[in-house]
Parts: sequence; C-alpha cells; structure tokens
Amino acid sequence: MQGHLPAFDHGVMDPAPAPYMIRINGHLGATLLSAFPALAPRHDGAHTVLTGMLDCSALYGVLAEIEALGLDLLEIQKLTPDRKSPEPGGRCSP
Amino acid sequence: MTIISAPAGSGKTSLLRAWAGRPGQPHRLALVQVQRDQRDAQQFWLALLDAIRHATGVNGGAELPAVTPDFNGHAMADRVLSKLADAPGGVTLVIDDLHELRSPEAPSQLTQLLTSLPPHVHAILTTRHDVRLRLHRLRLAGELAEIRAADLRFSERETRELLDASGIALSAAGAALLHQRTEGWAAGLRLAALSLAGHPDAERFVAEFSGSDRTVAEYLIAEMLERQPPDVLDLLLRTSLLDRVNGELADLLTGRPGSERILLTLEDANAFVESLDPGRTWFRYHHLFADLLRLEVRRTLPAEIPALHRRAAGWFIRHGQVAEAIRHTQAAGDWLDAARLLADHSFSLTLDGQAQTMQALLRAFPRGEDHPELALVRAMGDLAQGRLDEAAAHLAVAETYAKTPPPGRQRRLRVAVAALKLSLARRRGHLVGVMEQARFLASPVTGPSDEDIALGSDLRAVALMNLGTAEAWSLGLPEAERHLREGAVLAREIGRPYLEVGCLAQLGFASIFHGAAMPKIDAFATTQRRCREAIALAERYGWGTEPVIAPALMTLAGTMVWLGEFDEGERWLRRTERALQTDTGPDIRLLLHQTAGMLHAGRGRHPEALQEFGAAEHLASQLEGSQALANQVTGWLIATQARLGRPGEARAVLAALDDGRASSGEIRNAVAVICLADGDPGGALGAVQSVLDGTAPVLGYVTVVEADLLAGLAHRALGDQRAASQAAERALALAESDRLVLPFAMTGSAALLEALPRHQAAHAALLADLLDVLHGSSPAAKEQSSLPPAEELSPGELRVLRYLPTNLSRPEIASELSVSLNTVSTHLRSIYAKLQVRDRSSAVQRARELRLLGARRTP
Repeated sequence: MQGHLPAFDHGVMDPAPAPYMIRINGHLGATLLSAFPALAPRHDGAHTVLTGMLDCSALYGVLAEIEALGLDLLEIQKLTPDRKSPEPGGRCSP
Repeated sequence: MTIISAPAGSGKTSLLRAWAGRPGQPHRLALVQVQRDQRDAQQFWLALLDAIRHATGVNGGAELPAVTPDFNGHAMADRVLSKLADAPGGVTLVIDDLHELRSPEAPSQLTQLLTSLPPHVHAILTTRHDVRLRLHRLRLAGELAEIRAADLRFSERETRELLDASGIALSAAGAALLHQRTEGWAAGLRLAALSLAGHPDAERFVAEFSGSDRTVAEYLIAEMLERQPPDVLDLLLRTSLLDRVNGELADLLTGRPGSERILLTLEDANAFVESLDPGRTWFRYHHLFADLLRLEVRRTLPAEIPALHRRAAGWFIRHGQVAEAIRHTQAAGDWLDAARLLADHSFSLTLDGQAQTMQALLRAFPRGEDHPELALVRAMGDLAQGRLDEAAAHLAVAETYAKTPPPGRQRRLRVAVAALKLSLARRRGHLVGVMEQARFLASPVTGPSDEDIALGSDLRAVALMNLGTAEAWSLGLPEAERHLREGAVLAREIGRPYLEVGCLAQLGFASIFHGAAMPKIDAFATTQRRCREAIALAERYGWGTEPVIAPALMTLAGTMVWLGEFDEGERWLRRTERALQTDTGPDIRLLLHQTAGMLHAGRGRHPEALQEFGAAEHLASQLEGSQALANQVTGWLIATQARLGRPGEARAVLAALDDGRASSGEIRNAVAVICLADGDPGGALGAVQSVLDGTAPVLGYVTVVEADLLAGLAHRALGDQRAASQAAERALALAESDRLVLPFAMTGSAALLEALPRHQAAHAALLADLLDVLHGSSPAAKEQSSLPPAEELSPGELRVLRYLPTNLSRPEIASELSVSLNTVSTHLRSIYAKLQVRDRSSAVQRARELRLLGARRTP
C-alpha cells in the first residue's frame, strides 16, 4: 500500500481518528452496508450518507471498498467538532 | 500506447476482449491479466514474457526463466524489450487490471518498458484508477491515447443495440428508462440483460428497477441471484470466498458433486463467471460480482465462513499453493496455524520469488496475534532488504523461542535459525563462532513423518548452501566442497534449481584455493570446468547474469587472469559486474575489486590496480573477523604502493597489521617488495625466507611462486645471476602444472626470465608463453589495443553517449545538451558505427565494457 500513500512517509499525519461524512449515490442495501461496519448510514434523498470516526488507514480502506464495489462516490468531508464544515486540505491528503 | 482507466464494471475487459476477437487483426496479441493483489513483480513479468513468447513464437523452444529470489526487474524489462524487438510484424501488448500490481518496484520497471517500446509494438493497459507511470513524455509526443469512464458509457442507442443483440424485447421508452437508471454503466446493463432475458414482463422489471433508490449493482445482483436455482446460488455464495475456483474445490465447499458443470453453464450464460485456462478448469468471478457475493455470504452464512476457509486452506496446502493456503487460514481466524504455516514455508516462499507476498501475509496478522515463530519470517525479510541489525534482533527473538518450543518443532526451528544466522554472518563477514554453532546443519532433518522431511528439504538445502559457502569463504575445505556438493545433489532431487546453481557456483569458488603450498594436479582446469558447468546450468534457467551465479563468473574471470588470458578474463569480469548490479554484499564485492586489481596488475597498470586493491581493502576492513582473502588483498595493496614509489604508505599499512597477519606468506612477500623498492635486496631475501621454507602459512602455492620470483629479483639485484636463475626455475616448476602467468607479470619478472638460457630450461614451452604475455602486456601496448574507440569518439559524441543509459529520448537529449535533434541523431549514428553496434542498449553495454561512461572520460 505504501506505493499509493506517499503521505505516510512524512510523519505529518494526524494519527487520531476524526469524524468523516461520505456521500454515495443510491440507497445502499443491507449487503453493501455490511462492507462499512464502522460507519453509520442514513438516507438523504436518493443518496446514502455514511458517517463515523476514521483514522487515515481506515479512511483509505473505506475508499478502497467504495472503488471495489463500483459505488458512485459523490462527496467526502472531514467534519471538525467546532464547525461542521469541510476542512480544506485535510491532513490525509498526500 | 493506450490506457483504459475507469471504475469497476465499466466494461474495460469486455471492450478488450471484443476488440481482440474481431476478425482481421493485423497484430499478434500478448495478453496478461494481473493477479489479484499481486505483490511480487516477478510473477507478473514472467507471465508477460510467456504471453509475448506465445504471441510471437520467438524463441519458442527456449525455456522461460525460472523464478529466482534475486529477481532484477529492470534487467527483466530489458529482456522483454529485446524479445519484442526481435518479434516479426506488429505486436499488441495488453496488461489487464494493472491496478492489482502492488509491488512498489513495478511502476518504474513498467515505465522503463513502456517508454522504450519499439515502433511496431502497441501497448494497451486497463486499470481501475490512474497508476503512477511516468508517461508524460509519451503524452506530450501524442503517442498516448486515453479511454476513460465517460468514453465507456453506453449511449441510449448503444443500450438499444445491446438489448436487441441479447434478444430482449423492450419498448423504446423502456430502453430509455433503463439507460437513464444505469447511466449507461456497462456492468449494470449486462446484469439487467441477464435478468431481462426470459423475463415474463420486461417492461414491469424496468419500471420497478427505475423506481428503486437502491444502487444499481446491488439491486440487479439481488434480482439475478433470486432467479438462480438454490444449488447454483449456494455454490456462488460459498465459492465467492476464493480468488479462483475449479470444480473440485467448489464440490468441496458446497459438499455436493457437479460444480464444474454449473460453472461452465454460468460462463456460457455470460453470467460474470469466466474461465482462466483454455481447458476451462479454473474460473474466476468478475471482481465486482465476487465482492458483492462475499458481502452477501458474510451476511447470510456467517457461522459457516471459518469452516469454508479451513476447507479451502486444506485443499490449497495439499496442492502446494502455500500463499493461498495461508491466506485462507488467516481468514478462518486460525492465527497460530497460520503463523506456523508461514514460518514453515518461509524458505520455500522466498525461493519461489514470493518474498513480498510473504511480507504482506505477515502484515495481515493482527497486533494481538503476533507469534514468536513469525520473528523468523521477519528476519528473512530484513535480510533480503539488507537490514542486518533488524534481522539480528528478530533472529534473537526466534532463537530464544526455539529453545523451548512446542513438541516436534524444536529441530526445525533450530535449523531455520542457524541457516539464517549463517546467512547474516556471511553478509557481515563474521564467520568465526557461527560456523561452530552451525555444524549440526550437516546432519539431515528427521521429522516424525515423510511430509515433515519433505517440507524440511528446502530448509536443509538452504542450510547446506549457507554452511558450505561460509566454509569456502573461510577456507574450511574440504568440508566446504562436501557440503556444497551434498546441497547441490539435494537441490536437484527436490527440484530447486536456484539452490543447485547457488551450491555449484560456490563450489567453483571453493575449489580455487586450498591452502596447500604445492599445486594440485589440474586445480585451475578443474575449477574452470566446474565454473563453466555451473554457468551453463544457470543459463538454462535464464540466470546467466544473476547474483546467484556471480561466484562462478568471478572465479572463472580470476582463473583467466591467473593464467594470463587477460582479455578473456576482462570479459568475464564485466559479466560478473552486470550480475552483481543488485547485490551489495561486501564479500562478493571485495572479490570483484580484487580480481579487477589482479587484471590491472597483470597488465602492468599499477595505478589502476592500486585503486581496486584499495577498494577491496576498504571492504575487507568492514568485514568482521577472519576473512579468507584478506591477507592476499592487503599484501597486494602494500606491494602495489611500493611499486608505485610510495613505500611510506606501504609501511603504514604494514605497521597496522597484527603479528598473526604480518607473518602470513602474502604479507611477507609484500615486505619483500618494499625492500626491493627501497634498494634493499638482502632485506627482501630475509622477508621471503619463511615463505620458501614452508613455515609461513599461505593461501595457496601461488604465494610460493611469487616468493620465488621476488627472491630471484633480489638475487639479481645483488648480482648473483646463478641464484636468480635457480629461483626463477623453481617458480617455473611450481607454475608448470597450471601454466600460471599472473605472478610473473605482477612481479615484473620479464628480465629475470629472459636471463634464463632458453633452450636449456626445463620449462621451455611455458617460458616462451610467459615471455609472449609479458611483452604483450606492457602498459603502453595494452592501453592502445583495448581502447581504440575512446580515441575516435569526438567530444560531442561522448556527451551524447553519456545520456544513452538514461530513459531520455533523442529530443530530450537534444534539449538537455542545447543542440538540435539533428545533431543528436548524427552523433548517435556515428557512435553506433564506431562502437560497431546496432542499437542503444548494445551501445551502452559496449561503452561500459570500454569504460567510456565514467566521469573522467566525458568532458
């Protein structure tokens, strides 16, 4: 995996889990949801919103599942406790 | 070159298959599908080479290279390129599922291949996500076509055509709705077509699908699975845990016969099952489909999953598929069993070129399930990566555990630890002490069952090779010869050519010196024969320039130099250098510098010899403890310093030696050279006295020949021609059986030999040969004969030459040098003509041989 994660070499990443929100197109059924046991799902219109605490490797694991299952990823946000808004240049970005 | 980069289910592979299958293909097709989660680049490259061989029929008779733990990916990329260059007509190289290639080295190796493809070769890559290949040059040159997700989406018209072709009657509105709902996603349309075929009410199906908010794949796969008979559904769910399945395995997991027929039917129905071999015995599921099935089986049959994995693991271990067996044992949650399997097979996996796979399996153990036996596996990975301190630490853990292991495992663990300790000690050049602990390796492993003995054979062969090698390097003959020979025989019996070649290569090295003051009959001829046999065997497996054969290549080069065949020796030495590109072990590098020094010294080029002996001495100082060749290296370093008029430096090196080393024959000879350089021939005679009367320990009789010649030179300087001739005759008598030349050339004994009455000498033929070589090897003559093109290449050509080993294209070289493309092309043509080569890679090789690429020679 290191080949895909150059940021791991720099030691600047926050090791602590942070809250994330991931928005996927369509409603995920029980089978697909079982791929994301650490995330809480809810429907938002025609989308599924998954939220949960993830550290960087858990986040990349979730992204790999989304890719493998051919899901349509619409949005991904790191939520900060004080302001529920996206944090530009999140520390997991390479 | 074309890249198809799009998410799962976009229809990449289907597009490729359809394209490849269309009639009138002018190109031959070489197709490689990357295995799921491929960690070891070697397996990918071998598959690629095999595909090219099948596609082109070039070298159809030649064996594929066998797997080797010393895999050199860049050399392999070169090999693939040359195979492609030789292929007649056009070739299309297809690499499917490139995103599965997870070897960290693979991207740069692949970039090397893709940026230097010959014009008649077209490459097509498919991948789920963009991979880091440095292809921007191709992109800028307009030689890269990209097909992305948007290009692969079906249009509404194409959706209707697909439905028509599948025999599905659907209204235009229905087709439009289906297209809209799937957004033209290929996997969705294909799944829908499967469910629609034979559906009683196609319009209603589409309407319901369209009205659902569920994701396309989940909805359609659920629909499809619902329509399957129970036995088919059960088979799909249970076997989805496997990366690939055959009828026997599927029968085992379902507990029912007849699975192969079901798999064949599913493939025929185009239902996301595809066979992997022409005989249709192995199958795999489409990745996306398999992933969804796996989620489904975890949800619906969670209690059965560990048992299913256990059954699969049992099947794979019975069929020798160790990595897959370990993966399933881990998935079953049987961590202790998995740890033992991994430890027991760590030697075999390494030999099979699966070192990275092994490390990935190691990382899969959760924190709480670490086991002391895994320390052995970690040590092996550390050793392979050259992390010697970490290897030692992990070995210490494994060794402590091996003292009180569970019943039945002690012997095996002890042998494994000892074999690794020897390997580590050899890398560090610290053999004293370890050898004694390791002697027990020579007796066979006896396990409680035949299977245990068979499993231990790899380990035992490795142990014998490491032991014999360590003995050879510390001059522990004749045990070295016996153990290496035994290792080679065992390796042949168990079908481990890598170990057989390794043992035979070390055997070649082991036989050159034997610590005896008298020559053995035909010792050099025997050594050369052994080396050539080992090299021939290595070549049969495609390892002619791999690190494993380097000891034999080097020993052959060394014997050539000893026999005065300097040009031939130089050729073998260059090949040894190429073989050692990836091996940085100080022991073998030491020998490389020493042999190069011998070559220069034999040609009378003492400054160059000094450089090489200095490098060898530096490496020797890094090796702990005794080292077989250390005295010879140091002796020659001192002698060369003295010959170059630097007696002060020579004496400084001498002063730093302890008494034991200072009294060795090799160092006594060096003292004699200092004395001769100082104009003290009497001192020289005193220095070699202990060598001549046999009281000084010597590496071999070559040291005695050298001592005789130094004595002869001393007598000559004292004006005692008769004693000088007697000494020279003694040297000739000793050198006769091997027809040794080097000591005469190194000591500068031409005048001494010329003074001998030629027609009366007992060794007239050897003497005549010697004088020929000595006169042919004067520095001036050699400088001219071996390097003519260096004088002929113009400064401009040399500047271009320096860029040839890089990946830069001609236009890029032109821009680097701030000259026109035309100028670069003209220079290139002229370089090829002068070096008498036809292409870039042979120009680089020739330039290396002629040493034209070094910084000194390029302005």
